[in-house]
Amino acid sequence: MIHTMKIKNIILGMLGFSLLALSSCEKTFDQLEKDSNRAVQVPASLVLQTVEYNVLNDNGRPFSAEMRWNQFYCSNYNYYANNEYTLGAMPNQYSTLKNVIKMEQEAKKAGLADVNGYSALGKFFRAYFFDQMSKRVGDLPMTEALQGIDNIAPKYDSQKAIYVQILKWLDDANSDLTTLIAKGETISGDFYFSGDLKKWQKVVNAYRFRVLISLSKKDTDSDLAVKTKFAEMAGNPTKYPILGSNGESLQFVWNNFNKYPSNPDNFGFDATRQNMASTYVGFLSSIQDPRVMMTCEPAGSDLKAGKLPSDFTAYRGAGSGDNLDDMSKNAGLSNGAGFAPGIYSFQNRSRYYQTYTGENTFIVGFPELCFNIAEGYARGWASGSAEDWYKKGIKASHAFYGIVEGANTMTYSKTGSKDAADLVKYTVNFNFDSYYANDAVKYDDATAIKKILSQKYAAFFMNSGMEAYFNWRRTGFPTFSSGVGNGNSNRIALRWIYPTTERTANSTNYTAAITSQYAGKDDINDQMWLIK
Amino acid sequence: MRKNLQRFIAKNSSKTLFWLVLAISQLTYHVGNAQDRQIKGTVVSSDDKSGIPGVAIRVKGGKQGTNSDINGQFSLSAPSNGILEFSMVGYKNQEVKIGSQSDIKVVLEIDARQLQEVVVTALGIKKDVRRIGVAIQSVDGSATIKAREPNAINALSGRVAGLTVGSQPELLRKPNISLRGSSTVLYVVDGVPINSDTWNISPDDIETYSVLKGASASALYGFRGKNGAILITTKRGSSDKRGFSVEVNSSTQMQSGFYAIPKVQDEYGPGDHGSYAFGDGKGGGLNDGDYDGGWGPKFNGQLIPQYDSPVDPITGKRSGTPWIARGKDNLSRFLETGILSTNNVSVAATGEKYNLRFSTSHIYQKGIVPNTQLNMTNFNITADYKFTNKLKFESNLQYNRQYTPNIPDVNYGPNSIIYNIVYWAGADWNVDDMRNYWQKGKEGIQQIYAEYQRYNNPYFMSYEWLRSHYKTDIVGQAALRYTFNENLNLLARTQVTTWDMVRTEKFPYSAGTYGRDERRGDYREDRRSLFENNTELLLTFDKDVLPGLNTKITAGASQRVFQYKSIFASTNYLNVPGLYNFSNSSNPVQVANFGSDMNVLSAYYSADFSYKKYLTVFATGRMDKLSTLPAGKNTFFYPSFGAVSVISDYIDLPETISFLKFRGSYANVKDGLTSSTIDNRAGTYSGENYNSPYDGPSYQNNTVYSTGFYYNNQTGATYGDGLSNPNLNPSETSQTEFGMDLRLFKNRIAIDAAYFISNDGPSIFSLPISSTSGYTSALVNGIKTQKKGYEISVTGTPIKTADFSWDVIANYSTFEERLTEIYPGITSLNTFLKVGDRTDKLYGSAFVHAPDGQIINSGGVPIKISGAQSQYLGNINPDFVFGFNNKFSYKNLSLSVLFDGRVGGKIINYTQQQAYRGGRHIGTTEGIFAEARPQDALGVKAFVGQGVVVSNGVAIKYDANGNVTNFSELQFAPNTTKTFVQDYVGRYYNTNEGNLMSRSFGMLKEVVLGVKLPSSWFGKYVSTANLSLVGRNLLYFAEAKDTDLSQYLSDGATSPQTPSVRSYGVNLNFTF
Repeated sequence: MIHTMKIKNIILGMLGFSLLALSSCEKTFDQLEKDSNRAVQVPASLVLQTVEYNVLNDNGRPFSAEMRWNQFYCSNYNYYANNEYTLGAMPNQYSTLKNVIKMEQEAKKAGLADVNGYSALGKFFRAYFFDQMSKRVGDLPMTEALQGIDNIAPKYDSQKAIYVQILKWLDDANSDLTTLIAKGETISGDFYFSGDLKKWQKVVNAYRFRVLISLSKKDTDSDLAVKTKFAEMAGNPTKYPILGSNGESLQFVWNNFNKYPSNPDNFGFDATRQNMASTYVGFLSSIQDPRVMMTCEPAGSDLKAGKLPSDFTAYRGAGSGDNLDDMSKNAGLSNGAGFAPGIYSFQNRSRYYQTYTGENTFIVGFPELCFNIAEGYARGWASGSAEDWYKKGIKASHAFYGIVEGANTMTYSKTGSKDAADLVKYTVNFNFDSYYANDAVKYDDATAIKKILSQKYAAFFMNSGMEAYFNWRRTGFPTFSSGVGNGNSNRIALRWIYPTTERTANSTNYTAAITSQYAGKDDINDQMWLIK
Repeated sequence: MRKNLQRFIAKNSSKTLFWLVLAISQLTYHVGNAQDRQIKGTVVSSDDKSGIPGVAIRVKGGKQGTNSDINGQFSLSAPSNGILEFSMVGYKNQEVKIGSQSDIKVVLEIDARQLQEVVVTALGIKKDVRRIGVAIQSVDGSATIKAREPNAINALSGRVAGLTVGSQPELLRKPNISLRGSSTVLYVVDGVPINSDTWNISPDDIETYSVLKGASASALYGFRGKNGAILITTKRGSSDKRGFSVEVNSSTQMQSGFYAIPKVQDEYGPGDHGSYAFGDGKGGGLNDGDYDGGWGPKFNGQLIPQYDSPVDPITGKRSGTPWIARGKDNLSRFLETGILSTNNVSVAATGEKYNLRFSTSHIYQKGIVPNTQLNMTNFNITADYKFTNKLKFESNLQYNRQYTPNIPDVNYGPNSIIYNIVYWAGADWNVDDMRNYWQKGKEGIQQIYAEYQRYNNPYFMSYEWLRSHYKTDIVGQAALRYTFNENLNLLARTQVTTWDMVRTEKFPYSAGTYGRDERRGDYREDRRSLFENNTELLLTFDKDVLPGLNTKITAGASQRVFQYKSIFASTNYLNVPGLYNFSNSSNPVQVANFGSDMNVLSAYYSADFSYKKYLTVFATGRMDKLSTLPAGKNTFFYPSFGAVSVISDYIDLPETISFLKFRGSYANVKDGLTSSTIDNRAGTYSGENYNSPYDGPSYQNNTVYSTGFYYNNQTGATYGDGLSNPNLNPSETSQTEFGMDLRLFKNRIAIDAAYFISNDGPSIFSLPISSTSGYTSALVNGIKTQKKGYEISVTGTPIKTADFSWDVIANYSTFEERLTEIYPGITSLNTFLKVGDRTDKLYGSAFVHAPDGQIINSGGVPIKISGAQSQYLGNINPDFVFGFNNKFSYKNLSLSVLFDGRVGGKIINYTQQQAYRGGRHIGTTEGIFAEARPQDALGVKAFVGQGVVVSNGVAIKYDANGNVTNFSELQFAPNTTKTFVQDYVGRYYNTNEGNLMSRSFGMLKEVVLGVKLPSSWFGKYVSTANLSLVGRNLLYFAEAKDTDLSQYLSDGATSPQTPSVRSYGVNLNFTF
């Protein structure tokens, strides 16, 4: 009996010992499963912040791959980049679109009405991101998309159906904004316009003009009714208020956290490795446009040969289709001490490498809007003066670069360095009328489209994502350089491929989509409905 | 015993040991109660006449019984007419009539057919080898402490079949491990799991390593033991006959002599297409910023403005100075001889009532990169006390501190020495000129280097860019063991494993790295702490329930409580150079914190049933309630069972076969939503993002918002792209295994073979879904793979004479894993893998090949298949892994040689890739490039790449996988287009295909030449003295020696490394 007592005591002792050692754990198992570090609900303004950021991101920042595909500049340094059109998977914005939906849900959770500032902008963002994606690939899931677990393999909508919907979203956004503006509503978290919906409304309509113009090859399609819609908007600025100046554009203003891509930090990386492209430089110098002196440097070899920086013939780019080995050698050729190396123009040392803020980057810009309206009139979609809007567009772009009537002070680097000591000022006189009198500039009906598109191209320099390329793809203006440097059997690609996961995770619908559009291939050289 | 101790204290009043010994002497010596007929005796072994501890001694037919003590001595009371039975595993039973003897000496004969091995199994339960039906291989701890590795686990390389160790010579990097193809294994010390980065295991305190290779061996540890476990049994007490011992182990190794180092050309300097001139080192000259180290002008002594060329004070013009290869062998001149010094002192004492051991060790490693080091201090205290014959207390406390003011960062980027000296630097500057690294007048603000845009001065990095690491690990356990009777005992055990870590990084003014191009300095702190408590109760029942049927059942219950907290903070540039404090941040400080809690409740059992000598069947079961899984799904059970039979015990086999055992087992284990390691970074900073051991919640099944800085340092939020799943079941793995243990020629040769099939899955799997749903993945139960493999280990003593013996241990293992199921509706995994494919297929960028296999060129360079269309390049895993250890002993001399390696498999050589692209690889001046290279620098295209071009102007068409679809339309002609070597190399070596190499290698891992010194040399207190000359990593055989392949296990590509060095040294081992 004593034995059993002893055993009992020992067991109790052991249990006590073990319980003592347990650290107390106050949470239940259900609570422990949850991640207490991150939120399941946030204010809509926080989500708006990231959606707005993605409006610029991935679509083509200044001095990015997209800007090479736009043929504004070239990379001559194969370690960092080349000029090939090896377009891969499209930038995927569905995750951003999901965040647009989350933003709207959060706004409603916070007690806002069904139609509110976030939902109105939500329509614009849908239109914007579907447009960005569809013009890169073609058909895409839209009506069945963005439903999460309820539909993990959505069917594709035709590109036409997507554009019908984009035009509707933009129209609805415009009417919603009209209502909200009347009520004096605003939004927070908006770093573009500080919540001013009036400004957003102008952007929405400017964007709708861009979409309509991008559908020029489908202007006889009755479901799209491109001409009618253009005429309706152009004829009713009260219902469809539009941008009135560069300052009203949707633009990204760079700062010390979001540094302009060319800045003091990376001069040593890029200075001689990014030479300008002939498509851009060649056009501007041929029409004696001083913008080329604002954005580019005169070529070192030309200065060495005695040309002045004010001589437009001293500005030359490399063909984007040139062989990279030649371009590398030519860009790096020594011109001796005191001269920048190479036979090409580089980006302007004083404009782009001196600050973290660079220049503002248009996402939906006023100059483009002018050219879009001009193009609509020129195409006869409505009656109005194409030339007026064409001139307005050129002037707006000149204004963006600060080009004024009379003496313009330009800066170039004598040696190619960015040091203040090497930067030299010179003066170029500019008179718009004499500039405009040039046959290559002056509007005429016969070459209206070519001229509008060429000037629009110049105004797209380092902005508006890949609009320069999309406009070229649609019209062929200006002529792009092609050759061995383009890769892709010397061709400029016409589209991106679908996200690779579509092949594996949505294969039935994906296969159906490429079969109906591209004879079963997902090839970057095929033409999509939009440009047929 | 007590006398011995006092004498010891009197004669050896070593101060460092005094307090410990004092503590030991506090313990009282209990004398057993006298009986009326007391019999004493000693049991010795027939071979070496030493005492045998633990022999069961029993009075035949009576109740009295005892066990022999550590010295083989025993005493018990017994009647004079009685007979004593002596039995011991590994010896033949013996009976002795007592008669009038009162001091009996018994010699037990070794049973050649018996094995006396006892192996440590899961939960620390020791079992007779004949009852073990799972794969366990042991390594004697003493085999690893002579030719030292700083890390205990590194030392297991080549010693265990199925365990592959990718030793990491980089300071504080954890070895990569593959145990039957799984990279995460559980570390268990004395029966209890610990949280380990492997650095907190002190090699000197290890008695044995037991590697539990499969799920069935480690099923009792639950989900953490899913992939097997490495059990470490620490030394406890002393087996010395005096009852105490003092051991000193000291080893010093020098590390120098590279066996893997990139070879570079020193004929051409930095620049581009042959031109270079220093302006300001950041773009102001000709290719003087962010340059490539080898594509500039040839070193011909011509005058070129350089970083240290004189500048005319009036014109500001920099004149040219002779362009010569001042920097030949910069790397080897920069690196220093490393030192690895380890010292251990342990004191152990064992008495009838107690086991005590105290051990302290210090490991100091001086890195080969200047001003880098690593220190580790260990204290290990083991104290066991026997209150009564029934109640025992066991305890262990281990303190481990890892500390260093600076370790190098070897990750790719301007933070790495290799990047700054080999990949991208030229031979134009002399490393010796970089020692005084501050610019005159700008001390503390501006470094001196040959370039100021991208790279850094290596000495400046070593002495100013400092990364400290301080981590304190404490592992302790206390247990009470109560023996109710010979059949039943209870163990209550509680254990704590906890660590605290601080890492800091001082990033000096003027240093640059990715994303920190303003070069204005930074300071970072990374603090983490982890606490874990395991408490368990374990009841063991061991009895012959029926005649011939032994039952051994262990049942237990435990609770594991886990807590983790971390914080990471970084300045955003500094205001005042050299002041490393958050208050000195130029822009707002960036901080992130994280915390997690977890609770696991478990109940488990293990049951062995042995029927006579014929068969043992065993089963285990474990039930876990795990807080990381969703409610309703968080409680799960997993079983294992098996059988083992020693054929040779009951079937007459030929004389040559001394032992033959067959075994088979099955186990099923489950787990979910924990991750084995964790990092701690906010924002993007290049360099090491340290992964510490974790084993806590991954929170993967929580779809939540993430926040970050988007516009102008304002916070934005994005919703997760992975869909969570409230119905998620745990992951599952089932393993079936068969094994054979065959021993020949009186156990001279032992062959252990195992074959296993592991069916992994359905796992918790992040199913890629169409991103058009708004989400990129959904967490589901899916994916099944099957691993099959076998392991053979042969141990033997081919020769044994009185003076000479030769022992061999050879290990061989191989496995292959294939995808057996993905998920309904999903036809391929990771874009390429189909059901039936090996899971280690390596895909990467490749060239377009003509039907005859030749590369197709365009514009003089190969055409590359676009990035989204990776091609199959080979398999990653080796065909097999081997280790071969020979030990020769002659009298007092011994020589041990360990050779190991792997055969088969492909890897992308990243060092080759970058060294080529930078123009610095020795190959750019040799072979096919030798002729054209000098022309490059002169601006003449002279290189014609091999392969063909499309000659009929037809565009190549591809399908979605990158296959050419229109070969029939294409005509080919040999490529004749000349290009520059630089452009060709830049293209060719910028593909994975261009850098593919075999991952086969062999290494002479370890050589130990030992001498047993006569103890008479040292006086009577030294019982053994060993001197060993040791060498590690002496020879290395591989396709390319710019990379040490032994470090990589499952990686598809190599990464930058500090060059790998050989170690040579001396080890001294004394036992007092």
